[in-house]
Amino acid sequence: MRTTSIENRDRPARRSKLTSLVDALASVEAGQLVAVGGLWFHNNPCASVRELARRKIRNLRVVAAPPSSYAVDLLIGAGCVAQATVGHVSFEHLGFAPNFRRAAQEGSVRIVDADEATILGGLMATVEHLDAHPVTSVKGTDIGRSSAAPRNDAGIVAPVAMRPDVCLLHAQEADIYGNVRNLGTPFCDPLFAKASKRVIVTVDRIVDNDEIRKQPNRTTIPGYLVDAVVEAPFGAHPCSSHGIHVHDDACISAYIKAGANAETWRREYLGPYVEEPESLEDYVARVGGATRILELSEVVR
Amino acid sequence: MNGFSKDELMTVLLARELRDGDLAVTGASSLVPVAACLLAQRLHAPNLTLITPAGVVNPKPERLYRSASDGRWVEGAEAIGTAYDLFEMSENGRLDVMFYGGVQIDRRGNINLTGTGYDANGHPRFRGPGLANTSFAVVSKRILLFSAAHTRRTFVENVEFLTAAGHLGGRGEREKAGITTEGPVLCITPLVTFEFDEEKCMQVRSIHPGVDPGEVVENTGFPLRMTTAWPTTALPTVEELSLLRRFVDPTGELSA
Repeated sequence: MRTTSIENRDRPARRSKLTSLVDALASVEAGQLVAVGGLWFHNNPCASVRELARRKIRNLRVVAAPPSSYAVDLLIGAGCVAQATVGHVSFEHLGFAPNFRRAAQEGSVRIVDADEATILGGLMATVEHLDAHPVTSVKGTDIGRSSAAPRNDAGIVAPVAMRPDVCLLHAQEADIYGNVRNLGTPFCDPLFAKASKRVIVTVDRIVDNDEIRKQPNRTTIPGYLVDAVVEAPFGAHPCSSHGIHVHDDACISAYIKAGANAETWRREYLGPYVEEPESLEDYVARVGGATRILELSEVVR
Repeated sequence: MNGFSKDELMTVLLARELRDGDLAVTGASSLVPVAACLLAQRLHAPNLTLITPAGVVNPKPERLYRSASDGRWVEGAEAIGTAYDLFEMSENGRLDVMFYGGVQIDRRGNINLTGTGYDANGHPRFRGPGLANTSFAVVSKRILLFSAAHTRRTFVENVEFLTAAGHLGGRGEREKAGITTEGPVLCITPLVTFEFDEEKCMQVRSIHPGVDPGEVVENTGFPLRMTTAWPTTALPTVEELSLLRRFVDPTGELSA
């Protein structure tokens, strides 16, 4: 069905994928299609997107998990994004996604109104090596008129194969070979991993390969799909990392408040929490340290 | 309100609409519908299946968490699905009940979560959060609408962007679009419970205790039939409230 040829792997499937955040992201360039995993403000690849923002990469096209939040909003706020294919972007009960909202209202980023069925359909087309994947349930709405939802010859919405150049994920554990464990919900992440050319996973902790082998059924993304693993404790903050820590209400509220306009955004968030920290450790110290983050479950409702 | 909060009232009213054996899926900012499912399980629907938007199947939390996909919903659940499992339901149906709220809800029960005030270039004056799953409005057997706000800005004649299908243009319009499910059957607000008449227009089924009918008319952006006095919504019972507070919401998230 698909006209493109099968791509060859340029490096062995099994090798140590362990690297630094900077090296893992070095190949991400302007214009690429970047997938960001997680869902709402949980399990977002926050350390990775802040690193891309620090590098001031421009004109990215972004696709986010159908319910998304911080990762896509921050990339938009940092000026990295030309086009965003998104279903829902918000901080749920905490508030609207300020940079996404402002960009959509000003027209500074092209927003492609998508939906779970159109995003997953596009990823599944890639996974199944098809040109497009029809979805029969997008009916009656203006979403069906979006460019995310082209019609096939039969008049059915059939999202075209979506092949992210890179996907950024945050999980809780992995070994050096990239065998990943999600301690909470994996949600879209395994599908993003299968559909993307390059898969970069930050994890709260690296575990021994022996540990993975003791409970292989807990591996949610097998190592052969993964290109780079970075040990990044609290790399999901201020989002939650399911099973390790909850989201940071106070930091997210401050983020939303800072995002009210371009000037406060730069002064109160982009500067102090994205551009100035010299490392993830420095960032964690600035938001109150590891102990504070681990104790959030006692205060966050 | 006397003896219970707005959210507690809406939770009890939604719980009464759920049936034993229903498979219900909730969305974003869904504290009230999730609490309603958990309460219904304690009351008359022990075999209701609840799936959260994170794919968590039948959570059994010790308290309510405000984020629908908080990692703490996972402990004690029966299964953890992925986005692919939700996609399966998007296409194949399987679910009996979906809950939707909206930035705008129109008199036909259509939902706008995308934006309002679009200019000639297609840029909205107000951009909403959007929706992760519009398909459930097509394939879910029933849709239960709810809104924490009852204002003219929310309840409008026609949505400006149609994010999820209610009754579209009215009676028979879902069928014309190839949709075979019932669509929205009611909408619960802090003031009233709406139902849909034979033309698929929202009408007041009952008005909540202590609410003035004039307040409802004033805050609804489309005309309402007022030929007979609206019945009063049955108050939450002692049993409903005590089960809700003891077992579902012991930390009082719904009364905060």
